[in-house]
Amino acid sequence: MNNSLDIKAVETFLYEEAALLDRPDLDNWMKLFTEDGTYWMPAREDQLDALNHVSHMYDDRVMMEIRRRNFVHPRASSKDSPVRSSHLLGNIRHQGKTKQGDLRITCNFHVVMWYREEQRVYAGTCEHHLVSTADGFRIRHKRVDLINPEAPQKSLIIYL
Amino acid sequence: MYNRISTTEIDSLVEPARLHKRLYIDRDIFELEMERIWGQAWIFIGHESQVPNTGDYFTTNITHKVPVIMVRDKEDQVHVLHNRCAHKGAKLVENREGNVRGAFRCPYHGWSYKHDGTLIKIPNEAGYEGTGFDLNDACNNMQPLAQVESYRGFVFATLSSQAPDLKTWLGGAIDCIDNLCDRSPDGEVEVAGGVLRYEHECNWKFFLENLNDTMHPMVVHQSVVQAAKDYIDSLPESATRERSEAEIILPFGSSYENFEDSGITGFRYGHHYDGGKTSIHANYTVMPEYHSRMVASYGEEKAREIYSFNTHNTLFYPSLTIKTAVQNIRVVRPVAVDRFIVETWSFRLKGAPDEMLQRTLLYSRLVNSSAGMVGPDDLEVYRRAQEGLESSGSDWVEYHRQLGRDQQLEDRVVGGGTSDLDMRTQYKAWKEFMNGEIYR
Repeated sequence: MNNSLDIKAVETFLYEEAALLDRPDLDNWMKLFTEDGTYWMPAREDQLDALNHVSHMYDDRVMMEIRRRNFVHPRASSKDSPVRSSHLLGNIRHQGKTKQGDLRITCNFHVVMWYREEQRVYAGTCEHHLVSTADGFRIRHKRVDLINPEAPQKSLIIYL
Repeated sequence: MYNRISTTEIDSLVEPARLHKRLYIDRDIFELEMERIWGQAWIFIGHESQVPNTGDYFTTNITHKVPVIMVRDKEDQVHVLHNRCAHKGAKLVENREGNVRGAFRCPYHGWSYKHDGTLIKIPNEAGYEGTGFDLNDACNNMQPLAQVESYRGFVFATLSSQAPDLKTWLGGAIDCIDNLCDRSPDGEVEVAGGVLRYEHECNWKFFLENLNDTMHPMVVHQSVVQAAKDYIDSLPESATRERSEAEIILPFGSSYENFEDSGITGFRYGHHYDGGKTSIHANYTVMPEYHSRMVASYGEEKAREIYSFNTHNTLFYPSLTIKTAVQNIRVVRPVAVDRFIVETWSFRLKGAPDEMLQRTLLYSRLVNSSAGMVGPDDLEVYRRAQEGLESSGSDWVEYHRQLGRDQQLEDRVVGGGTSDLDMRTQYKAWKEFMNGEIYR
């Protein structure tokens, strides 16, 4: 463990990221990612591989760019209904470094989401791989593990 | 219980180019569909590769209320059995998949069964002596389904003893199962890379109708195609990787002319496919490594012939739809009149490079996932229809496109790719299943 890490600064960064998704403001959210940044929501517990096993989502910046544009397109009928989220993050922990030398941060999340006249709950754990830059942290990888990845899922039109 | 519906009443709901809204919103119709369509058709259960070893099992539901187990016994035989103890009816297996070493053991009173469903043992058996109970009577086994058959590893079962054999029932659409398997250099496929389960809050038939509804992609998926195009336009010349990745989305914006040319072919029992000579999947590049392995197995000419049979979606009515060119399937599991689950399973082409499976999984994730950029817009319009049909504005939906222009061949009907031939094919079968004429 790196005891010199300012865990408060990490927490503040994660809260700000969550706030951008709550709004949702995908344009500014995407700016938090590195050029090689990825977002992964596996489809099974303890999934090891994003390429040889299917996932609910596995976006690089190309797919994020398309999603970001599609999200506000007037002809995307699944986006006619507003979507609003409320993220609560907890158990934020520093778990050492990745092979690339990024900070490995894990947390638990609860997201209450309002979409299509229905209130839903998502829960699980997140893992962020953070790079320290002159402009603060950037996300190289965000992994979102739902507690029920194998269950039938409803349409999810926004990142968690 | 639900209300019975007379044959005359059923017939009145399906006209040659109009369907009554009750088909989508009436709970009594749904219950009757479960009994007469899902209870009579061959239903896709799973693929043999999901249970490779003795004692491996996979569970699912054959109708909304009938749980079944697919299991491999020690003679390598794959069975499909009712997931129910003969004693008090408890479901024997709760997990979706796993392995039972010796026997299925009921968690209630410990009755145990062989992999083929035969009752082995009841604890404290003496209590049954002289009661007329016969341990060896087949009625005390886990009950097999009326018929179980597989074709190239695809396991189907039916609750009906009247259904014709599987090959007859699959008819000419069987070419699509062959084509999927032939795309493997070894001539075999296996389930790989897990499953996606997508909850649909609407009637199951909307999904089937949408498969080969080629009038919808350019409207429903306009936004994501435009988003991909806008992004591609923003890229510098040098960004070839980004461009080729974004181009995966573009076939959803194919033109009406393009879809018309692909054609639709319909068969008995409601099966149909769109494509054949061409489809929206026709322009995928063939990977050189894959191609050389195909040529080694089949020769150049035959390999080209296999890729050139290019279907978009094939429906084996009512439970299974295959994308041969992509190597994935979607399986329909009805739950209620306004709810069903779609499962997306992906296949590895045995003998092909790993990149082929990765491409399949990429497609499943982008297009078929509940968090994809294509599926949610499809589901949105089904839900709009589900909600709109409750309206008293009209009792009917229409399907007139190219009515009277279908061409009847020996075992199939062919027509234009933007026609409602797929609707005519499936609702002819719907009516025959529902009024009891299907196997007469």
